[in-house]
Amino acid sequence: MTKTANGFDLDTSGKRVVVDPITRIEGHLRVEVNVDDKGVIKNAVSSGTMWRGLEVILKGRDPRDAWAFTERICGVCTGVHAVASVRCVEDALGIKIPENANTIRNIIHLTLFVQDHLVHFYHLHALDWVDVVSALKADPKATSELAQSISPWAKSSPGYYRDLAGRLAKFVESGQLGPFKNAYWGHPAYKLPPEANLMAVAHYLEALDFQKEIVKIQTIFGGKNPHPNWLVGGVPSPINLDADGSVGAINMERLNHVGKIIDDSLAFIEQVYVPDLVAVAGFYKDWLYGGGIADKNLLSYGEFPDLANDDSNKSLLLPRGAIVDGKLTEVLPVDLKDPEQIQEFVTHSWFKYPDETKGLHPFEGLTEPNFVLGPNAKGDPKKLIEVLDESAKYSFVKAPRWRGRPMEVGPLARFVVAYFSGREDVKALVDSTLKKLDVPITALFSTLGRTAARGLECLWAAQNLKRQYEKLLGAIKAGNTATANTSKWDPKTWPKDAKGAGFCEAPRGALGHWIHIQDEKIANYQAVVPTTWNAGPRDPAGNLGPYEASLLGTPMADPEQPLEIIRTIHSFDPCLACAAHVISPDGQELAKVTVK
Amino acid sequence: MARVETFYEVLRRHGVSRRSFMKFCSLTAASLGLAPAFAQNVAHAMETRPRVPVIWLHGMECTCCSESFIRSAHPLAKDVVLSMLSLDYHNTLMASAGHQAEAILDETRAKYKGQYILAVEGNSSLSLDDPYCFVGGKPFLAQLQEMAQDSMAVIAWGSCASWGCVQAAKPNPSNAVPIDRVIHNKPIIKVPGCPPIAEVMTGVVSYVLTFGKLPELDRQGRPKMFYSQRIHDKCYRRPHFDAGQFVEAWDDAGARQGFCLYKMGCRGPTTYNACSTTRWNGGVSFPIESGHGCIGCSENDFWDNGPFYERLVKVSGFGIEGTADDLGLKALGVVGVGLAAHAAASTVKKLVTGHNKPPPPAGKAGGAS
Amino acid sequence: MKPPLSPPTGHSHGLTRAPKAMYVYEWPVRVWHWVTTLAIFVLAVTGYLIAKPLHSVGGEASDSWVNGWIRTIHFVAAYGLSVAFLMRVLWIPFGNAHSREIFWVPLWKAAYWKELLQEVRWYGLVKKAPAKYVGHNPLARFSMLFMFVLGTLFLIFTGFGLYSEGTAAGSWQRALFGWTSSFAGSSMTLRTWHHLAMYYVLAFSVIHMYLVLREDIMGRTSMASTMVSGWRLFRDEGTDIDDAEEPAIRRGIEAEVRAEEAKEPVPSPAAQGKG
Repeated sequence: MTKTANGFDLDTSGKRVVVDPITRIEGHLRVEVNVDDKGVIKNAVSSGTMWRGLEVILKGRDPRDAWAFTERICGVCTGVHAVASVRCVEDALGIKIPENANTIRNIIHLTLFVQDHLVHFYHLHALDWVDVVSALKADPKATSELAQSISPWAKSSPGYYRDLAGRLAKFVESGQLGPFKNAYWGHPAYKLPPEANLMAVAHYLEALDFQKEIVKIQTIFGGKNPHPNWLVGGVPSPINLDADGSVGAINMERLNHVGKIIDDSLAFIEQVYVPDLVAVAGFYKDWLYGGGIADKNLLSYGEFPDLANDDSNKSLLLPRGAIVDGKLTEVLPVDLKDPEQIQEFVTHSWFKYPDETKGLHPFEGLTEPNFVLGPNAKGDPKKLIEVLDESAKYSFVKAPRWRGRPMEVGPLARFVVAYFSGREDVKALVDSTLKKLDVPITALFSTLGRTAARGLECLWAAQNLKRQYEKLLGAIKAGNTATANTSKWDPKTWPKDAKGAGFCEAPRGALGHWIHIQDEKIANYQAVVPTTWNAGPRDPAGNLGPYEASLLGTPMADPEQPLEIIRTIHSFDPCLACAAHVISPDGQELAKVTVK
Repeated sequence: MARVETFYEVLRRHGVSRRSFMKFCSLTAASLGLAPAFAQNVAHAMETRPRVPVIWLHGMECTCCSESFIRSAHPLAKDVVLSMLSLDYHNTLMASAGHQAEAILDETRAKYKGQYILAVEGNSSLSLDDPYCFVGGKPFLAQLQEMAQDSMAVIAWGSCASWGCVQAAKPNPSNAVPIDRVIHNKPIIKVPGCPPIAEVMTGVVSYVLTFGKLPELDRQGRPKMFYSQRIHDKCYRRPHFDAGQFVEAWDDAGARQGFCLYKMGCRGPTTYNACSTTRWNGGVSFPIESGHGCIGCSENDFWDNGPFYERLVKVSGFGIEGTADDLGLKALGVVGVGLAAHAAASTVKKLVTGHNKPPPPAGKAGGAS
Repeated sequence: MKPPLSPPTGHSHGLTRAPKAMYVYEWPVRVWHWVTTLAIFVLAVTGYLIAKPLHSVGGEASDSWVNGWIRTIHFVAAYGLSVAFLMRVLWIPFGNAHSREIFWVPLWKAAYWKELLQEVRWYGLVKKAPAKYVGHNPLARFSMLFMFVLGTLFLIFTGFGLYSEGTAAGSWQRALFGWTSSFAGSSMTLRTWHHLAMYYVLAFSVIHMYLVLREDIMGRTSMASTMVSGWRLFRDEGTDIDDAEEPAIRRGIEAEVRAEEAKEPVPSPAAQGKG
């Protein structure tokens, strides 16, 4: 038994359980745990198992193109890297974007929050709480009553549920379970009654149909989704309400379309997502595992500047700040450019530093792949890796630290930072939900708390989407239709040498991009992404990151059926393609990796 | 008692009549070059055949293809996944994880040998010496090759699987390659795009399932039905291109009137895709309609054909980097300077030696005439 | 009417002693040359404007067709170039020996390389006097083949490849040239190649024009006017030999010309030419 620097007890003596792949996430994640004889997790190892090297690829390219490359880091939280990228380029070059461009960017980005949180809850996370097979036992009439008791949502008649139950039965009878095959149906960790399960299955399917509607806002302003188009200096879609050629621009029809989608989204979240969330949470109130470092260290870069080109907390709708060592009421200022604050370590990552006991700020960061398994690892990386050795290198994710501490990022971190920064809108949402569930605020620091914070943030995002939309209409009414600032579009107007940082809050948490532009080209580029903060391995001091810490102490009913593990990991909404990235700012050639 | 639902039952459940079903079987038989009598056999096969299992693998990718797939409006993604086929393995959607998930792969290989479709999102490194992607502890390359071996056909989703896409852009640090570099002897349908259009993805799948054959492919392995024309050929802004009406700067008068985005670097004229006709997200818009040029995301090497905001690609050669015009004009300049120098030197030489002056008519050598 | 293929002088002097005038370029070759010249000029200008269009015009799109015209002119000129090129190739079996010179070079012959070196030395201002050639000199042949003929062929193939992208599936352009974009990897890459190849041929054209003018001024044979009249005039009649080994080399190459002429019917003495 050892104690980590951040106060967790580790015991590696028990049975090792490997879960790989962790499914229903973006990317490739592996988790290994040791459980004691009672099935309680005593050690946890989180490993990102893919690397693509996008920042190496960015070197030497046009900074105005960077958003497109970085956007392809992740297609689930599509656009977040584009936001951070255009912001870092604009920061470096001193470009001020027009007010409307800021508002439209907020609309595009809020749209992602709404859609991504919704898809995460129903399609990536719900099956950790909802037993699809148990839904077969549900009484359609009782299900209808349950649904109607929690929400005015129209699709809740007994006939609707009877039809669904019939189709579900037929599907299960077919013997081809498709995506529901080999899962953990009947697992004792499932607590919902059959009726709640059936209701959730109905909403799983409805949400699958509806999510594609939400993103149409991105399609209108960005031309497509996933991966809409962005622009350094503004947004690409011009506004032309009633002059010549307005059919080819953002006009009344387009704006009405956006407005309708926002209203529909708000209705779906208010009447389906949030009631479901509260209903499901009500059955799991005593499963408050998975907190990890959530009650200690939380970080938010803040998001949604209400004023263009102003990223101070007076402008940000969700504030920037850090909470450390459990001092919740003390929100500390965060500066992305301060070399003392954000640093990345690679002691346990498959990368190489000259001195791996030290962390590097993104402006000085280095990433050279170095895939070596530790002495206690088992297996052959050309055939099958059986067990990793966490005493050595074990992940393609680096370990970022804020003032030396691992930090949790994501909806929970944002909401806690906002709550303790005294944001009334967030406080009202959180307090009313806690009251409804009759749990103390400490209940937030758990798997379920993370999931709840995401649902509340989804509602918050939809409400603010409507506000930003109205703000856009107001600006257009006042005669302001500019959407792009092209004064520094031409590379000849740029300084020879410029550095910039771009912040962003992705649905999954704090995201930063750092760029160094030299002679009109990218000299180096670096991103520190949400899942790097959350999924990162240990640092030289032995501090556990959020994923690893959150699994400790969780009891498993059956270690062979890792439902509890994926439930907690899913509550972070992992995005591994984001996390496993690389930068080589000094332009060093990547060393050829040798496999032992 | 578990019973396998057949393709016929699925069609019936979707309101297809017995009569239409038989007609469809005749057409299928005909399209496969079979005699009309074989329609009965086709019908029998369809009536008794279970839904086609699909194994959807994720390699080095960003999951934008999966995200696009679930945006499909017609058919709805849920109908494709739950009724038309049997999506038995899909990292992002499946309920099971870890070894329960990996067991499905082995089971499918054994039970449906030669009968399942392998859909691949993302790609792998070229060799096992590049340890950049593991799934279930196995190198993704090994998993991909194993699953391809026993599949009926392979669908390469998106530009990663089709061309290599962003991770294969120079200098390709992970040595990523399109899947046809590592899968041989299997028909591969490439459905490129970053991501492909949702309805194009479900369109390809439902074509295969409905007509019981693989779509006709072009030279580069893409279904002709969606990739045989350029975005430019069907672009609603094409009249502005021909007229010579271009957006000259972002948000200028031309931009607000929907002029052609060619000068802003639009890759529509070089990109084969259905964006300008099928459009995106249920036909709401497509990049050009929303004011940004096409970046050519369904084209091979489009990342290295940048910058996206210039019509002319930056190429490098002879130690200089620039567009074809930069390089060409520089080369012409060098030639011009060279020739001028040569002319000057020739003149000097001539003045000095006086050698090449045409001799007087009465030359020393005997006249040839 | 077939013009005489051989100058009015006998072969007994060998080629070391040049005649005053020789008929070199038959009319199809001359027509081809000038059609191609015009086409290349038009193609280069319109091609440049296709890649970098003129400033936008206003009004309704249906009122203008600026870019459309530029492209149409480009296509017309391209057809002109291609048809002329094709006719020129078809002329090879009918034309004289000079009509073949630019389509191949005897790279396998040591004598050719020696002569080539002589020409390089002459143009490098090392050698004092140039050799005289009735048709193209070895260096000219080399650049004609590798810069002009192959460059133009490349432009024709890539050009039709690009053009076929806009033609219907099943069109002959697509059937014949559609493979070019998959060969290049992508349509954009093909465009870049086409664009770069233009500069390659332009570079040739500039060098070609310079050397022709220079030769006209400083050399001993007519150049520019030869492409108009077909006759090459030799302005001096002095020996063109200032390197001892030259005759042997020359005989090696020009033997082919002679062999060719031997096959021809009895050359009729040219009425033209002075004296």
